[in-house]
Amino acid sequence: MTTTLQRPAPTPDAASGTTGEETSRRRELRKLVVLAVGVVVSLAALVVSVTIGTADVGIGDVLRSVQVSILGGTISADFASSYAVITQLRLPRVLLAFAAGAALSVSGVLMQGVLRNPLVSPFTLGVSPAAAFGAALVITLAGTNQLPAWATIAGAMVMALAVSALVLGIATARRMAVATLLLLGIAMTQIFEALASALQFTANENTLQAIIRWTFGSVNDATWNDVLIVGIVTLVAIPVTLLFSKDLNAIAFAGDDAARSFGVNVGPVRIGLIALSVALAAVVVSFCGIIGFVGLVGPHIARLAIGADHRHLLPFAALSGGLLLLVADAVGRTVIAPAVVPVGIVVAFIGGPVFIYLILTRRNTLK
Amino acid sequence: MSLSVQHLSFSYGPRRILEDVTFEVAPGAFCALLGPNGSGKSTLVKAIAGVHRAKSGTVTVEGRETSSLGRRELATVVGYVPQAGDAPFDLTVREAVMLGRTPHFGIAPRAEDRAKVEDAIARMGLGDIAERSMSELSGGQAQRALIARALAQDTRVLLLDEPTSALDLRYQIETLQLVRQITREEGISALIAIHDLNHAARYCDQIVVLHGGRLVADGSPAEALRAPVLRSVYEVDVEVDAREDAVEVRPRVDAAGFTRTGARLAELDEHGGIRADAVAAVPR
Repeated sequence: MTTTLQRPAPTPDAASGTTGEETSRRRELRKLVVLAVGVVVSLAALVVSVTIGTADVGIGDVLRSVQVSILGGTISADFASSYAVITQLRLPRVLLAFAAGAALSVSGVLMQGVLRNPLVSPFTLGVSPAAAFGAALVITLAGTNQLPAWATIAGAMVMALAVSALVLGIATARRMAVATLLLLGIAMTQIFEALASALQFTANENTLQAIIRWTFGSVNDATWNDVLIVGIVTLVAIPVTLLFSKDLNAIAFAGDDAARSFGVNVGPVRIGLIALSVALAAVVVSFCGIIGFVGLVGPHIARLAIGADHRHLLPFAALSGGLLLLVADAVGRTVIAPAVVPVGIVVAFIGGPVFIYLILTRRNTLK
Repeated sequence: MSLSVQHLSFSYGPRRILEDVTFEVAPGAFCALLGPNGSGKSTLVKAIAGVHRAKSGTVTVEGRETSSLGRRELATVVGYVPQAGDAPFDLTVREAVMLGRTPHFGIAPRAEDRAKVEDAIARMGLGDIAERSMSELSGGQAQRALIARALAQDTRVLLLDEPTSALDLRYQIETLQLVRQITREEGISALIAIHDLNHAARYCDQIVVLHGGRLVADGSPAEALRAPVLRSVYEVDVEVDAREDAVEVRPRVDAAGFTRTGARLAELDEHGGIRADAVAAVPR
């Protein structure tokens, strides 16, 4: 007993010859290196995935196209078609896939941390069925008229945000108990799945097809506009989450009471971060349709790689989610080429087994 | 006085949990908070920690009223150690102790925060397992890590909410001795909610007893632990053996090995003797 009571000067640890403070700093440094490697791998993967597809395009072509479109310059006639494929088709789709994956994964980290539950995802509060119903409603109301793309996007987003606001509002009135939130989410999911099914049941053949097509999450019709909106929302959200990563750590690891005793304003922080999480998910779902699993698996993959500390986990989860969706989309474009499997389907095929593996081997990330 | 609680009342909805609680803990003193389940021990600890905001009354730490402090500022003067609970995600002991520095740094911990964390780890004897994950620790180790977390928080008052209830005898005693050592070395005041009367008597300098949200005893172990008070508070027939150096509380048993509890305490007279009519009236 007395040995632990005395206050030893930080003695070098016999095995490694380092003090605790050095170990601590070295760990921090290692995590920054892992993060940097993640950024490099992501950039490389983005470039490589642009080359994948039916039209033959090399890495050199990709880099030249990026250079030309940013710095300006002229392109020769034989390069024109490759340039068009790269800048008009491939780049928007891979960037949208990456941004959507990053947004969903960050959204998942926030939701899991704030609700202190490793099994929840961005869609736990009913965002995705609400968005699907919103889109289906717009498609049904339009009937045979040709719809502009923004109309379904707006319908999905309005409905998703409205439902999230409703869930958060009720939960706030009920003191934000985590169980209340989860149960409300389940109820909302049921209600909106029923509403969407009802619309599908009454729809005619063409409308039905349009509705179903929308629910398969995909980046097939990606435009630069989509990339810009999803990308900017994601790029703005990540630094904001980093400002709150310390509070998120306290809530996720120590619990509400202890977090309060550390000076964290638990209620407002929880509402704010959930609102941010559902907003990210709503934006992605509105533009891409329902892409499941990334928001659940992306955070867990990131935890395995870099640990659970949210200061590193949040940025790394953006990379892991982005990469996951990027890979899924690349696979979707190649397995039955020239046909393209929607990324939402592929990612469930990839994400499912990965998640089962994580559950079976969970020791350090999930407890 | 390092910690002073004056006329503190707290209700949860219409239910009054704490009723006009007043006591003080001197700098360097280790105070035990006793009382049966539901007497308001946990609520009192959380009200002082600022987890709950009290309805009326004041809590003062070294002359500063805690209600005038912001949440984060309060977290730099009052530390709180909950019972070791399950965390949904795993992290290393070192990361867990760093959580105690939350009120002290902005976005990333500085060198000073790291130094405090290492100091707390060393003092709690966690140096060898600092890189181990919390889920691999034994109950006693996990509780020590939580105390290290509160030490790293570097506060003038340390509150502990039944930290020993889930521990075996050795870890219970080690935990109590560690806290006592810290209070004496640092001159901070510690308040510990605890169930074991004899541990409280043995290791604490002061004892306060809570009953139905009211304070019914306050003083040194010999002053606070008196048989009539304990009988009415715990509804158990106890005898107190108070000697100069130690106070011991024991349940009193009759010839058949039974201890009177609850309603059967009515069989005792005001001096703790058995009433003559009770012996005849109760068949066995």
